[in-house]
Amino acid sequence: MIPSQRAYADSDVVDFVVVGSGASGGVLAKELATSGFDVVVLEQGPWERPQDFSHDELAFERELALTNRAVEPTQLYRSTNAEAAKHNAGRGLVYRRSVGGSSVHFAANYWRFRPIDFAERSRWGSIGGTGFADWPITYDELEPYYTKVDWEIGVSGAPGPFDPHRSRAYPMPPVPNKSSGVLLERAAHALGLHAQPAPLAIASRSYDGRVACQACGHCFMYGCEYGAKGSTLVTVIPKALATGRCEVRTESVALRVDTDARGRASGIVYRDKDGRERRQAARCIVLAANGAETTRLLLMSTSPQFPHGLANSSGNVGRYIMFNGSATTTGRFEHPLNEYKGVVDTRIVLDYYDADPKRGFYGGGGIDARFRFGPIGFAVNGLPDTVSSWGLEYKRALRDYYSHSTQFMSHITSLPVATNQITLDAEHPDRWGRPSFCLTYQDHPDDTKAKLWFRDRTHEMMQAAGASDVWDQPVLPIDGGVHLLGTARMGNDPRDSVVDRFHRAHDVPNLFICDGSSFVTSGRGQPTMTIQALAFRAADHIARFAKSHAI
Amino acid sequence: MRSTVSRRAFVAELGQSSFAAGLLLQLPLLASLAGCARTTGAWKHLSPSEAASMRAFAAHILPSEPGMPGAEEAGAVHFVDQVLGRPFFASLAPLIHDGLAELDARARTAGSHRGFASLSESAQIDAMRQMERQPFFAAARTLVLAGTFADATYGGNRDGAGFTIIGMHHEPAYSAPFGWYDAEAAKHAGAA
Repeated sequence: MIPSQRAYADSDVVDFVVVGSGASGGVLAKELATSGFDVVVLEQGPWERPQDFSHDELAFERELALTNRAVEPTQLYRSTNAEAAKHNAGRGLVYRRSVGGSSVHFAANYWRFRPIDFAERSRWGSIGGTGFADWPITYDELEPYYTKVDWEIGVSGAPGPFDPHRSRAYPMPPVPNKSSGVLLERAAHALGLHAQPAPLAIASRSYDGRVACQACGHCFMYGCEYGAKGSTLVTVIPKALATGRCEVRTESVALRVDTDARGRASGIVYRDKDGRERRQAARCIVLAANGAETTRLLLMSTSPQFPHGLANSSGNVGRYIMFNGSATTTGRFEHPLNEYKGVVDTRIVLDYYDADPKRGFYGGGGIDARFRFGPIGFAVNGLPDTVSSWGLEYKRALRDYYSHSTQFMSHITSLPVATNQITLDAEHPDRWGRPSFCLTYQDHPDDTKAKLWFRDRTHEMMQAAGASDVWDQPVLPIDGGVHLLGTARMGNDPRDSVVDRFHRAHDVPNLFICDGSSFVTSGRGQPTMTIQALAFRAADHIARFAKSHAI
Repeated sequence: MRSTVSRRAFVAELGQSSFAAGLLLQLPLLASLAGCARTTGAWKHLSPSEAASMRAFAAHILPSEPGMPGAEEAGAVHFVDQVLGRPFFASLAPLIHDGLAELDARARTAGSHRGFASLSESAQIDAMRQMERQPFFAAARTLVLAGTFADATYGGNRDGAGFTIIGMHHEPAYSAPFGWYDAEAAKHAGAA
């Protein structure tokens, strides 16, 4: 159901068209509309209401309902250019198609990057086979915008021993600790590590007109029916609409960015909910559609002036994709944990955040305690190998394990590799006539080593927590994911980056790109906090440029 | 009972075969089946003998116990019967029909001409073990589990049988303490 909002005509030359209403697009729309500009947001999915959300595991926990994977005929995958691409039977590129984007169904972990994330190339040195580079901005430049995310989106948490400088305290205390958090604390204490409350974009008390978390246990891959999770659907987008200068146009699928004879963006061609091809004129275009969709739109926007796609003179649009690695160990405990209750995770351990040359590879990460299974998922493949897969023993094991188990999960760096890339697959057009995605991706050897090293850490932590039965999840090669990072990377040099330090495309002065695609390095998982800090910062600069006629 | 197929191999089979991956991808689309009615009368997409075989198969995946429901009480077979008729399961239906036919064929080999369901329980288990590595088994097992644990609007998980089986107090919201360890930690924090 679409709320009451300002409506613009296609022929209106609006100040900004923002493509995407997710973590980044929602922030940009609110900030630009609040600054007095006319904004049209094109969102390919529908407008859902929180009261329509449900706990339907079959629909949502398999990551498909209302995601791109539910409407795509196929995605292709190959590990290297030398291989023939095949149907990606694995995870593929996954994101939500609805107002709020993937912020509707994310787990809401809001780790800030640390200063080292922005300057790691300088500290570590080059890494063979990668485009490992410093960011053109620093943590200190971004810190005010991290704080803005804390307060405008609503982040609950408490300071930890390794936290970077913050200019303002968390607006809300942490949510109540879960048993898995207590056990992670126990493990950390036993091993001389440090557990701290997980910063979450989840209201621990009523906040900004939203109710506190009701601990329903359905954060990841579900929408929050209580509105306690800080999706852009319930935080910034209502504020954008309230300005009277923003229209979120749903079920509107962007097809290409039009450019004029001067090489400036002039509008967006899109397909509306009735299948009609339309065009919204604009003075400035902002792409915030996620690292996959932004890539597709740029590569589809070819013209004689931009034969390889828009903003792609570097050839790097779609390249350097990073997903963040992970490694997970599961453990069963003597007493019930009931991990189906509460938020995804309440405690994290960041002692291994920094890469350390003593490990023999580049890579760092954080560890949290979470249990990723609903009943169907756990019954299908949640038990250890030692338990049978059907029959009475299996059935009793489901009962013995489901309420008594949790997982320690690592969230790890991925290196930017030029040949890890999204390209377009015209052989499998979607229902809107757009080419599908072909992912070429192979873990860098250091990424593989990092995953194995972190699996050993989660294993020893699970043992230290006192689990009676400990088993590791297989460490598998990455073939997709939900973190879609690095495909239009930020940099000072137009020869090897797509956007500048203000997210302006090097090649197109009135085209800005701000979402996960802007990332230069991957961080340690949990990218949304940084995506939104970048969006708040970008909006500040874009508004400044617009007001000074510098676009 | 111990499976002859390791859990990891089983998961790998589910996750890597193109068929199984297709199944996993299709499962969430069952969301559109939210209007599935409970079926208590005639079968819709299984023949009576297929339904009997599927029911017996399901009862071995999650057997019933005194005081504890199984796939039978959850109505998992009705879930399977419903979903096989849907367009997006068209590619799966032949596999299920063929697999159930093979179970019956194995029953005939074992001397019973009245189908898999008429075999003794031990003979049924033997026949299922012989088919454990086949795509049919993975598909049918997953359907049984989905039918047992999915939202009741899909026709299974009757009276919350699935939640009872897995030991879950199914509520729309919860409050702390959630489990034993956080309750203990809160007690000690309070005492301190």
